[in-house]
Amino acid sequence: MSKPGAAAEAPSRIESGAAANTLAPAAEPSSDPPRARAVSVPAERTTLDDFFIPDLCATRSVFVVVLIAELIAVTLSLARPSPDFLTELARISMFLQWLGLTSAALLCYARPLLARFSVPRASVGVFGLLMLNTALLSEAALWVGGSLEGSGLTALFPRDHWSFLLRNEGICVIVAAMLLRYFFVTHEWQRHLRAEARSRIEALQARMRPHFLFNSLNTIAALTRSDPRRAEEAVEDLADLFRATLRDSHDALRLKEELELTRIYQRIEQLRLGERLKVRWDVAQLPMRAFVPGLTVQPLLENAIYHGIEPLDRGGTVTVSGRVVDGRVELVVSNPVAPVRAEAAERPGNRLALDNIRQRLALAYDEAATLEVEQPDGEYRVTIRFPYRE
Amino acid sequence: MSAQPVSVLIVDDEQPARERLRRLVEELPGFSVAADCANGADALPLVGKLRPAVALLDIRMPGMTGIELARHLGTLEQPPAIVFTTAYDEYALQAFESHAVGYLLKPVRRERLEEALKHASRLSAPQLRGLATPEQPLAAREHVAVRARDDLKLIPVKDIRYFRADQKYVTVRHAQGEELIDESLRQLEEEFARDFVRIHRSLLVAVAHVASLERTADGGYELKLRGETEPLPVSRRQVGDLRKRLTSR
Repeated sequence: MSKPGAAAEAPSRIESGAAANTLAPAAEPSSDPPRARAVSVPAERTTLDDFFIPDLCATRSVFVVVLIAELIAVTLSLARPSPDFLTELARISMFLQWLGLTSAALLCYARPLLARFSVPRASVGVFGLLMLNTALLSEAALWVGGSLEGSGLTALFPRDHWSFLLRNEGICVIVAAMLLRYFFVTHEWQRHLRAEARSRIEALQARMRPHFLFNSLNTIAALTRSDPRRAEEAVEDLADLFRATLRDSHDALRLKEELELTRIYQRIEQLRLGERLKVRWDVAQLPMRAFVPGLTVQPLLENAIYHGIEPLDRGGTVTVSGRVVDGRVELVVSNPVAPVRAEAAERPGNRLALDNIRQRLALAYDEAATLEVEQPDGEYRVTIRFPYRE
Repeated sequence: MSAQPVSVLIVDDEQPARERLRRLVEELPGFSVAADCANGADALPLVGKLRPAVALLDIRMPGMTGIELARHLGTLEQPPAIVFTTAYDEYALQAFESHAVGYLLKPVRRERLEEALKHASRLSAPQLRGLATPEQPLAAREHVAVRARDDLKLIPVKDIRYFRADQKYVTVRHAQGEELIDESLRQLEEEFARDFVRIHRSLLVAVAHVASLERTADGGYELKLRGETEPLPVSRRQVGDLRKRLTSR
């Protein structure tokens, strides 16, 4: 490890202008204790909208239930060698339609309740409900048949009590199992499609915030006449940055390259924000040959500027520091927070970027990498740690 | 082209952006830049002094957003016409479109700028209210503007102790004294619902400034505020709500 005070890796040109204590007005002590924010899933939403058993009360579902019940009825009648196919079909259909519709109604009402359980438990619940319903309806059919004894309709009703009940339960279990499996697979497939679409959009946005792109172009448009040389440099910097974001995001970079990119990014923002943006680089102790997943440090600086510095009237200082602790690289990016808008850091854009970095770290290092957010008084601090590999 | 040029005020926190707009406006025949400045607080006295016909306001600025600034300017007797500028702000753009409010996307094109300046108009109160977006909720107004002759004076909302509705106006009681504003108590109540509570038909009080809630001899209630000698009457209907707010603060 290099000694403290050893030559820093080119921090000097960046500490532009005024001393670091032109910081924003003292922040009000926030009542929130520093906390690490975990990715939390809103529990409410995920239950009903995202439950694998569909809403069976919808008109379309009811129609499908009727259709399925009828198909099973046809299958069963075909399978039975009976001289009178149509009577057989009518008999089975009547029973199965009752069973299908009452079951659909039951599941429809029980759905909000079932949605609170895990998939296996909910499935057991569905089995229980359907078997109970089958038993009740079978008994009802036997009872109606018994009370019509002697009339011409007797032939339509079952006689053999236990055999009827058990056969029905057997069929019920098999059909229910097939249905549940079908629901589950369909649901997973849809969820997969949705997640894929979402992650593609998020990846794109995380690569380049539109806000940054258009502001940079505006700055360049302004500089083209007033300071053509700087405008030219800015275009070159922007090109480098875009090239980096277009690279395969799974590629690992050397820390040196990633920090270089981050500095290029800072240079562009510096043109726009001038004196308001100061960045203190404390990275002399970092092993520059270490590998890092691409675009992990730059988005942290981008976040710090967008959510931290820009809302501050007089700007402030972002600190980027790093070292190696116990064989892990530790990088910390911290920025002051405007007192009134302490909640600004909670804006979706911020979480999106952090989630993205988290995913990238997890992809590269699994559990071995962490991302932590702390909010001590008037400050916002993100720390990432990942294994030191060369 | 003999008439006086139309004067334009530019408000943007980024120096290159101001510089470019200034150049573009100066190059347009019939327009001139009255001044430019970096934030809302600087813009208000400039508007009072220079009376620009049009103000070009950036939306995302530190301290006061362009939209809040526009609301304050809207309380002037002769407010300037407003055109917003923004690099990218999807929520705001939707609001602008649906309320027919002029805006320009940065980098601004010369033709678009000319068009916008020619058609810029004063924003009506409903238009301004319509600009609430998830990113810039109107409830986030951090100052209340008070008209003093041609000038606007800003009172930080956190210094306000209470609003009292009189016949036609609302009195703002704050740390330095009292002012009259031309707003309705009901809208103020909606806007500042997070920090203020209605204690009476005509009184809206800052929860943060409350010292104590006390019973009076005749069985009613009154509220004491820090820094105020005179207690405020609390109507019976509001006591429950008020208690809740006081205990949860």
